Amino acid sequence: MSGGAWVGRAVPRREDARFLRGEATYLDDVELPGLLEAAFVRSPFAHARLGAVEARAARALPGVAAVLTAADLDAAPLPVGAIEGATVADAGHPVLARDAVRYAGEPVALVLAETRALAEDAAERVDAEYEPLAPVLDPRTAAGAPPVHEHVPDNALVRWSRRHGDVDAAFAAADTVVAQSFHIPRLVAAPIEPRGAIARHDPGTDVLTVWCSAQDPHRPLAQLGSSLGRERDRLRVIVPDVGGAFGSKGAVGVEVAAVAAAAVVLGLPLRWTEDRTENFLSAYQGRGLDADVELALAADGRILGLRAALFADLGAYLYATTPVAPHTTAMLLGGTYLIPAVSVEVVGAATTKVPTGPYRGAGRPEAALLIERMVDVAARELGLDPIQVRRRNFVPPEAFPYETPLGWTYDSGSFERCLDAALELGSHASLVEERDRARAEGRVAGVGVGMYVERAAGLWESADLRLEPDGRVVVRTGSSPHGQGHETTFAQIAADELGVDPEAVEVVWGDSGEVPPGVGTFASRSVAMGGSALVVAARELKQRAEAAGLSLAELVAAEGGAEASARFSSGLVFASGAYLAAVEIERATGRLRILSLAAVDDSGRIVNPLLAEGQVLGATVQGLGQCLVEEAVHDEEGQLRTASFADYSLLTAAELPPIASRFVETPSPLNPLGAKGIGEGGAIATPAAVANAVADALAPFGVRHVDPPFTEAKLWRLLQGDPL
Amino acid sequence: MTRRIAVELNGILVEAEVEPRLLLSDFIRHGAGLHGTHVGCEQGVCGACTVQLEGEPVRSCLLLAVQADGRSLRTVEGLAPAEGLHPVQAAFQERHALQCGFCTPGFLMTIDAFLRDRPDPSEEEIREALAGNLCRCTGYRGIIEAVELAAERLRRA
Repeated sequence: MSGGAWVGRAVPRREDARFLRGEATYLDDVELPGLLEAAFVRSPFAHARLGAVEARAARALPGVAAVLTAADLDAAPLPVGAIEGATVADAGHPVLARDAVRYAGEPVALVLAETRALAEDAAERVDAEYEPLAPVLDPRTAAGAPPVHEHVPDNALVRWSRRHGDVDAAFAAADTVVAQSFHIPRLVAAPIEPRGAIARHDPGTDVLTVWCSAQDPHRPLAQLGSSLGRERDRLRVIVPDVGGAFGSKGAVGVEVAAVAAAAVVLGLPLRWTEDRTENFLSAYQGRGLDADVELALAADGRILGLRAALFADLGAYLYATTPVAPHTTAMLLGGTYLIPAVSVEVVGAATTKVPTGPYRGAGRPEAALLIERMVDVAARELGLDPIQVRRRNFVPPEAFPYETPLGWTYDSGSFERCLDAALELGSHASLVEERDRARAEGRVAGVGVGMYVERAAGLWESADLRLEPDGRVVVRTGSSPHGQGHETTFAQIAADELGVDPEAVEVVWGDSGEVPPGVGTFASRSVAMGGSALVVAARELKQRAEAAGLSLAELVAAEGGAEASARFSSGLVFASGAYLAAVEIERATGRLRILSLAAVDDSGRIVNPLLAEGQVLGATVQGLGQCLVEEAVHDEEGQLRTASFADYSLLTAAELPPIASRFVETPSPLNPLGAKGIGEGGAIATPAAVANAVADALAPFGVRHVDPPFTEAKLWRLLQGDPL
Repeated sequence: MTRRIAVELNGILVEAEVEPRLLLSDFIRHGAGLHGTHVGCEQGVCGACTVQLEGEPVRSCLLLAVQADGRSLRTVEGLAPAEGLHPVQAAFQERHALQCGFCTPGFLMTIDAFLRDRPDPSEEEIREALAGNLCRCTGYRGIIEAVELAAERLRRA
């Protein structure tokens, strides 16, 4: 363990001044001479054969440089990612549609003009022939629907299953079996800065430079390299300041590949700045999962077995990360519990909707919702206290490292301690008293808890460290910020390791020409992986100094500066936690009020409590949005009905409930910082806790389960006794 | 077809030939080159593009540049002193009221105008005042606390 003056301190962010003064440089702020602006012609149909694309009228407009279709671009579909043990179809997203369109909003042609307004004018004059086909919307019935891709006749883009233990025997021996079906709707990540890219090709060096609003440069580099057939030394990706991502800027969008390919064809610098409507229609969405889950229990509440069938609404194509979320859901279905026999099957269905991909939590919120709701359903069925049922089934502290029946190894955890902390922080006993008092007065109130386990980190990350003779420390990291505060936390880590002030530390990130190869920022992995790589590099420098019998400062002076590079690898680490929610439902309107939330997260060692709490609050409010208002709705023709912030609401400051946050610190044994992950817990556990509180509130009305979001209309109908 | 406009932007007279359809947000960003004002939705919902027109917060994506002709505009670049931070900006840093920072200038311009009207606001009034600006990162609590802190300091100043 490293230990020093800075790690663990709640210091404000060093990077804030440029954001507060309006001096940050986001994608649309990058200025290059001669930039042309892009607009896309997008399919108005969810599913259609694509005929001729007629662009003469568009090309004839003054100020229009080019209108390009699939035939004009030398670009393969974006690469499809593999998942261990899964069958994954070859259904990569074509950069521009060819012969068919498979979701409303799919890019068909690319228009380049002197201004965005001119490009949009021209896009409206492009005339494409469409022969509409039947949309495929429901992942449960997709197998019997017309194929979205001819070579995938059963519409199963991903198949995965795992079985451990004698599941049939566990169910046969059970005193009680509970079964429940779920529908978890699609969500939109909705960073306030939409996506975008700038591409410039230098014909002299044949280097293509792509500025990209992305979570890191590494994945755009790999994915664009694959699509465009470009080696790393002919491609440079620069990530500027990024206005939020939440998973949605991890895999590179086809629009980025289209603009990059077009820049090579045209020999001109190009910019695409996504607008909000495009972001709703065409950025990959999150969640989108139907599930049937069964739990087998003994009369005392011990869980004997779990059986689940998951039907993921993957959409029309597979981005590199599309299969990840349902696989993560499946692997985490056991949650914080010892379940000896488990069987899970996943079908990732092709539908004629925009693809799905990671959105904050990425499979973990679905897993938490499923298992935590099942525990509450089972407890009610057995007439037991849901908290006691949890205690009876927790993986105990002495079991770590604990290999689950599904095959992941939880590195560390203190699940019961987290639960106790949440019950204390949220004053559980008095919440229950208040609920009972409210009920006695005829009001509708409920209390619920949600546990979670979060797969985080894993793979490897890089750091280059240089100590300058003038005292500056330069850290080049493979991790990449989009709001998290790397320039502060990484400086704190370096300061402790090297015995310097954080102000002396410059953190360089985002430019593939400047930083070492890396994996990137996702899955709450930056501190555990990138931070640990920095620790390893610093310790290597210290060892070198020690071996030479010098202090670090003497080594730097003697060598005119000192450098070290490190790659840090580790297995997965598992953050965890417990959330407690109290709710009341207005009887006359069905309106759900969140009375309070208590959030306890075990993210291992915390580098900066101020920033860590910021992550918890932000993620929790996103989780609340999923409970209250957020749902991407497609109509029966496959058109997205929620394609603006007017139709797809985000919570505002006016709706913020009281949220209390506390950390339990069970250090991970897998990295020198003892860190796990902090970015997603709130989005993972909040829906589970609130769903349990809502079900608790509605139990006196004979309601066992409600799917999110818990809208007024839905809850009001349930209060009237209408089945949904 | 273009029209000539003259706008007082952060105290400096800016003259330009603009298309009548040019949004004020695009004029500020690309005509005047002030990138601190951000465009988040162009639908008047998110509030990222909030600037002050004659001292009042407005959504610059819902106005045309020609509508600002002959009037004064203030953007985030006009809020910050030459060195250091405005009291609202400083409070944002101390209370960790920003993460990705993209929505921040819009919040700052809303709050600056709000605190001029309501120097001693209740928490309820602060929440209402902030409800027209979306932040996807922070969960708002830091922003609410920053407004309270800035209000207290501005009252004492």
